[in-house]
Order: sequence, then C-alpha cells, then structure tokens
Amino acid sequence: MFQYVLSVMIFMPLLAGLFVLAAPISKGIARLAGFIVTGIILLLGIELFLGFSGSAGMEYVESRVWIESLGVNYSLGVDGISLLVLFTCALLFPLIFVVFSTRTKGFYANLLICQGAMIGAICATDLVLFYIFWEIMLLPIFFMIGLYGGPGRLAATLKITLYTIAGSLLMLAALVYVGVAYHTQFGEWSFNIVQLAKLNLSGGYAVLAFVMFMLAFAIKIPLFPFHTWLPDAYTEAPTSTTFVLSAIMAKIGVYAVIRFVIPVFEIEFARFAILLSLAGVVGMMYCGLAAIAQKDIKRMLAFSSASHMGVIALGVFCMNVQALTGSLFQIVAHATSTGVLFLFVGLMEEKMQTRNITDLGGIAYRAPIFATFFAIAMLASVGLPGTSGFIGEFLIILGAVKFNAFIGILSGTTLIIGVCYMLWMFQRVFFEKPKELTEKFTDLNMTEVLTFLPVILLIIFMGIFPQPFLKKIEPAAQKHIAEFSTVAPTVIVDTTVPSEGLNHQKN
Amino acid sequence: MLLSAFEKVKLENAPFVSMGFFAAAFVMQLTAGNHESALYGSVFNGMFVSNSFTQAAGLVIIGCGFFTAMTCLTYFKQNNPCTMEFYSVLFFATGGMLMLTLSRELITSFISLEIMSLAIYILVGYDRKRVTSTEALLKYLLLGAFAGSFFVMGSALVYGGAGSTKFAEISSFISTHSAGTPLLIGGAFFIFVAFLFKVAAFPFHAWVIDVYDGAATPVTGFMATALKAATFTVFANFLALNGAMQKEWIDFLFYIALFTMFGGNLIAIGQSNIKRMLAASGIVHSGYLLIALVAISTESFSGSVIAYYLAAYSVGTLGIFAALSYLGGKGESRMSFDDFKGLAKVRPYSAAAIAVFLLSMAGIPPTAGFMGKFYIITSAISANQMALAVFGVISSILSMWYYLRLIIIMYFQEPEDTFEIENSIFAPACTFILVFCVFALGLYPIVI
Repeated sequence: MFQYVLSVMIFMPLLAGLFVLAAPISKGIARLAGFIVTGIILLLGIELFLGFSGSAGMEYVESRVWIESLGVNYSLGVDGISLLVLFTCALLFPLIFVVFSTRTKGFYANLLICQGAMIGAICATDLVLFYIFWEIMLLPIFFMIGLYGGPGRLAATLKITLYTIAGSLLMLAALVYVGVAYHTQFGEWSFNIVQLAKLNLSGGYAVLAFVMFMLAFAIKIPLFPFHTWLPDAYTEAPTSTTFVLSAIMAKIGVYAVIRFVIPVFEIEFARFAILLSLAGVVGMMYCGLAAIAQKDIKRMLAFSSASHMGVIALGVFCMNVQALTGSLFQIVAHATSTGVLFLFVGLMEEKMQTRNITDLGGIAYRAPIFATFFAIAMLASVGLPGTSGFIGEFLIILGAVKFNAFIGILSGTTLIIGVCYMLWMFQRVFFEKPKELTEKFTDLNMTEVLTFLPVILLIIFMGIFPQPFLKKIEPAAQKHIAEFSTVAPTVIVDTTVPSEGLNHQKN
Repeated sequence: MLLSAFEKVKLENAPFVSMGFFAAAFVMQLTAGNHESALYGSVFNGMFVSNSFTQAAGLVIIGCGFFTAMTCLTYFKQNNPCTMEFYSVLFFATGGMLMLTLSRELITSFISLEIMSLAIYILVGYDRKRVTSTEALLKYLLLGAFAGSFFVMGSALVYGGAGSTKFAEISSFISTHSAGTPLLIGGAFFIFVAFLFKVAAFPFHAWVIDVYDGAATPVTGFMATALKAATFTVFANFLALNGAMQKEWIDFLFYIALFTMFGGNLIAIGQSNIKRMLAASGIVHSGYLLIALVAISTESFSGSVIAYYLAAYSVGTLGIFAALSYLGGKGESRMSFDDFKGLAKVRPYSAAAIAVFLLSMAGIPPTAGFMGKFYIITSAISANQMALAVFGVISSILSMWYYLRLIIIMYFQEPEDTFEIENSIFAPACTFILVFCVFALGLYPIVI
C-alpha cells in the first residue's frame, strides 16, 4: 500500500480539488474537506519522511510506461534532494485551511489542485511528467490571483502568467532537444532523468538549451534580473496564495535546477556557474536594499523573500556539498520562516484592513503571543543562530567562500541587510506608540496558536538539532556533487569558451 | 465509406439520422483495419489508397461531422431554421473530404477537393438573408475557384513533366530523373498554392477571417477542423511521395510556416470578435501543422504527428464552436469578447469548458493540445529543424495573450448579461463530451 504513497499524495488533492470545484457544496464544507485532505497528506508526508532511509538513491519509486513510442514514463521517486521540499509542501498547506476562513469554495479547490500539482512536480523523475505538473501548477495560481487578488490583480496575473509561460514554453523546446539528443546518442527514447544524466552534450545548441532551462527556472525562483513580476504578484495575490508562491513554488524552481539542469548540463553549468552565482548575489543585495525602502509590509516581505531566494540559488550554483546541503536545508527554513511571516501579515490585514507600516505600532503590547511568534519567525528569516535560518545560510556562505572568496564575502552581507529591514520594520510595527488602528488588535486565539505552534517549534528544533534533517539529505547531495565533479573539471579545462555575451540570460 | 444519404425524413429527425450515419461510419472506419491497401484496385486502378494515416484522418473528419450535426440541433433552434438539404450537403462535404484523404492521384484529388469545396460553399452561404453570410460566400467562392484552377494548372504541368498524375509514378519519375525540372517545380508550386489556400496559410490567409465570421457557427467549426484535416492529409501524402521533391521545397515551406504562425498571431491579437479571433488562431495552427510537414521524413512516413495534432486541434476547436453556438444566442448576437464578460459567474460549467478548450489550443498540459505541440516540436527537432521549433514556441507564447484574454474576461470581470439561451441539451452535451475528449486524448495519447 505504502509503495503508491506518492501517487496518492499527488492525486488525492487534485481529485479532491476538482470535486470541490464541480460539486455544489458550501464554502464551509469545502474548507473542511480541504483541511482533511491536506491533513492526510501531512500525515503521509511525515510517515514518508520518517521512513526515508537516507540513502543516496531514489526511494518510493513508481514507474509505468505512459507514451511508449517516445519513452515517456509515469515515474515518481523521492531522494534526499526532493525529500525536504516535499516535506515542506505537505507541512504548510493545512495551515492555510485553518487560518483563513473567509474564502469561497473555488479558492479552496484551487489550493488543493495547486498542492497536488506541486507534489507531482517535486516527485516526478521523468522530464515530460515534470513539465506537465510544472504547467498545471500555474493554473490555480492564475485563477487565485485573478479572482481573489487585490485591486491591481489583473495586471499582476497577466505579468506572472506571461512571464512563467514564456519561460516554460522555452523549456519545453529545450526538453525536447535533450530527449532527441538522447535518442541520437543511445538509439532509444527516454526522458528519465537518470538516463539523461549519461548524455554528453556540447555545442551551440546545448548552450541554448541550457539557457532556456535556466531561464524557465530563473523566472520561477525568481533570479535577478527576472524578478520583476514578483513584487506585483506577491502583493496583489491573496495572502495564502503569496504564501504558496513564496514558500513552495519558488523552491520548486531551485529544486528543479538541482534535479534536472545540473545532471544533464554539467559542462554548461560549470561554465556559467560564476555568472549565475553573481546573479544570485546581486539579486539578493538588490532585493534586500529594495525591502528596506518599502512602506507596505507585504511588499517588503516579497522583496525579502526574493532576496533570500537569491541566497538559496547561490548555494546551488557554488557546486559543493556544503552549499548544496545548505540550500536544501534553507528551502525548508525559508518556507517555514518567511512563508509563515506572510501568513502573519495576512492575519494582521484581516484584523486591521491595512498593511501600511506607518499606520501600525505597538502591537506587541496588545498581542504578546502574536508578537513572540512573529519575532521567532522573523529572526529565523534573518538567520539568527539557534534558528533554522542560521544553519542553512551558514552552510551556504561557507560553500560560497570555498567556491569564490569574493562571492562568499558578498553573500555574507545578506545577514546584515536582512537584519536592517526586518528589525526596523519589527520595531515600527510592534513597538513604538500604539496607533488607533492597533488599539483593538486581538491576540491569536487558541486554534491559531495551536496551528502555528508546531511550525514555530520546528523552526527552533531545526536550528538546534539540524542533524536529523542533514543526515537525510547529505548522502544525496554528496552523490550529486560527486557525479558532477567527475565530469566537470576535466572537461572544463579542455573546453575553449566560445564568445558568449555576459548577459547570456537575456537571450 | 462514402455516405451521402438523401434521407426523406422529417426535418426534426434529420440531425439524428445524420448523427446515426456518422456514428456508423466512425465505427466502420475504426474497424476497417489499418494496413496499407489500395481500395478497389481493379476498378479505380490505385487511385485510392488507405493506410493508418488516412484512417486516422478519416476518423477525425467523421467525428467532426458527428459533432457538427449534434451542435446544429441546438443552433438551428435559435437561428434561422434550416432545410433538409443542409444535412445532405454536410454529407457531401464529408464524403469529399474522405475521398480527398484517400486519393493518390492528382485528378482524383481535384475532383474530391471540388466536391468538398462546393458543399462547403453552400454551407457557408446557407443563411441567404444575412449580409455577412452572403459576403462570406462570395469571397470564398471567388477565391476558392481561383485556388481550384491553380490546382488544375499545377496538375497539368506535373503531368507534362512526369508523364503521369499518379503519386507513385511521379515519385518513380523523380527518383530516376530530377525534381528540379521547370515543369515539376512550376506544377508543384501551383498545387502547393491551392493547398495553402485551403488551409489558410500565409500569404493566402486573408479570406479566412471574413468567411469564418460570416458562416453559421457550427459550419465554421466544421470548416475549421474537417476541411483542414482533409487538406493536410492529402498535402502530406503529396509531399511525402518522394524525398527529393520534399528537399526541394523544404526551405519554401519553412518560410511559409514561419510567416503563417506570426502573421496569424498578429491578426489574432487585434481581434475583438471571438469568431474572428478563432479564425486567426486557426491560421496559427496551420502554421504548426506546416512545421510538422517540414519535418516529415519521407523514408518512414507515418503521418502520426500530423494526425494526432489534427485530432487534438479538432476537438478543441469543435468544442469551442459548439459552446459558442449555444451561448451565441438568437441570431449570433453574442460574439465579441465583451459579450462574454463574467460568463463564469452565470454559467460556470460552460465557462470552464471554454477555458479547457482555450487552454488546449494554447497547449497547456494535461490537454490534448499540449501533447500535439509536444509531438510537433519533437518531430521538428528530430528533423534538425531547431530554429523552426524555437519559432513555434515563441509563436505559442504570443498566442497565450489572446487565449488568456478570453479567460480573463470570462472569469475576472463582472457579468452584464444574463446569458439566456435556448433550452436544448444537444450542443451543451456535445461540448462536454468534447471536454472529455480533450483530456482523454491528452492523457492517453494514441499514436498510430
């Protein structure tokens, strides 16, 4: 029974979502159904996490032929790379159903579909299957922003949709190129990632395909300079959608780079790594500085999220075990901290109808529990020792220094910038004199406390005892880097770099 | 397989009878066996050849006929009533198309092309009292006649050059001589012009907007799908007859495909009427099919990519025209983008169905349209046409705009209309069957 757990985790929310969409039920029941389904997914996720043996290979593998003539398989699996992303995805969805009660049933249905597609994208080990889930993932987001977003929602929806669709269609062409290249080299069709890793690509088309893949993922992450859709989409989207976007969808972008780009395009990746990591660092600093200037809390968090995504992406581009492990760890840490901060802002907005920092103040006196939770999530987000954020960022910076000292030093500034905007905002919103809006601010009720408590505890637990998590991901990260470095250094030395423009990503 | 029946039954029953005939033809076609065989070889002397490709194309065409008849049931309840002959003309058109897919000879192709075209002219101009319909008929008839005469001219030149009008003999002539003789080049060029006109490819695409707009909605759906399926089948058969000839024309078709895609997109982006937008998007889809034509391999030609794309495109397009024909209201009063504001709030299921069709046309998984696009890109890259694949992808990014626009209007704006419609079950039923088909084809891609 448990061997089909991944399929169950994908299709249960998908089907439940479609059912909720089509069936004439009230929004209360829809919410309850959503909560139950995501709850079951969470239990399955925990069970899967505990049962994961920590080997370097794939576990819970499922495989079945889908399109025989093109070698496309319905194949799923989890390894150390995808484990934590999957865990995050299972962990965070129930929160939304508990915290927000005012939405219509269509909204809950979209959330469920979104979760199913995301789990699908995380578990797929076949490139075509991954692409399909990757695209389906966007549809609920499109409807959620467009139907339930803020005043500027139409522009924001169009922006995010056209951006991501453009990226993913280019990826489709690149994906097919990879498949065809495999067919010419090995005489059979396959889109399985393990097989594709054997490919030996070179030449202009390989670079082009690599750029197309990276473009799609860079838009999703979003990596500087493709982040311009982010502030609008994050701000206009309903808070729970922003939460999904920042906590999970952006992570899938990073995950996909690790899973699909690195094994297939070792040489190109190694060549471009320094440029990409620069993009990561610059994006991190740029968005961090932009965050300082924001007046709207949600917009500030949007920039902060983009800034942290730059760091996580940097960890991937450094190509060593420390940085990669750090990135994988930071994926969970960031999702639980910044993601939860988005939820807190959503709660504040529901209670006070404003997100303007200057309108707020003194919340800490009215709502001590809320302020404490907020503070813990915020400190984790800036990477204070003792919280989960510290472990991840420390490993990434360590790896970055090893990779390139200059980039390492730049990446160190993330902590400083983060502290600047976060603490300043915290001071203005939670301390200072209470304003008239915040006078009647009520603290979290019992349900809300019980909902957030596990996540807050997880943040602290991951900060103090990171080993149970690291232990599961490290073997896979080591294997990944090992495979990568057996090919890369020898080839890179021999490869003359053709005259590629510095702004290769814009092509 | 040729079903042109003159049923002497009551008008109300005519659509049911025709649906029955279409269903019977569909089953026959399905069980006909898919091995390469010359039909009635002794009588027709190898003019008709059936294989798995023509079988698939025939299935698509007959399916289009079936759903068109079903849609007409509802459509004519709220528009000018039709007469019996409508359905028999529909059969004539279908018969011509089936002959066209099977034909392996230029004169036969011409005859079936004209059988098909004449029937379609009648269908387009069926509503004699509407000005737009008459205008559409006139335009289509005049231009179509030109295209037909080009085809005859081309056939004559090819006959002069190769000494035969049979595809097989032209092929063997080319392999012993050369495809580059002036007569063959000129002849093939004129034949291509006729085909390109029928599928509305650049630069012969200008008629399609007005004609699609003027024809009755179910007829437009039928034209957009079945006609294209038939023409592309014979086009592919003609092109695949010899490798040397295909090589000769590949650059020409490359640019035609490119301009068709981008020209169609530019036209579609500017439209404010849904039917006109769909007409223009049909041009774009012709462009994708031309990519598949450029990429066909003459050594092992199976046509599966083209057939699958035709099927995927047909279910999407037919579905949206079926939905439009019952949502359009009396006298097709609702046809512009703005008329569909807030449809999702009033008729959520219809809006969802239209959204599915649009997403399928845009090529978003898990719909059939995605699989079709996936196959086309795969075949293009396999044939070393990387540039064409990338242009195809860019063109589909552009096309996202006008598909999304309708979805945005349906979902994200407040309704101004109550969307009163004639209470008839058939067109909605047809729409939902086609929604099912879109997903079924997408999830279980049957590649022949």
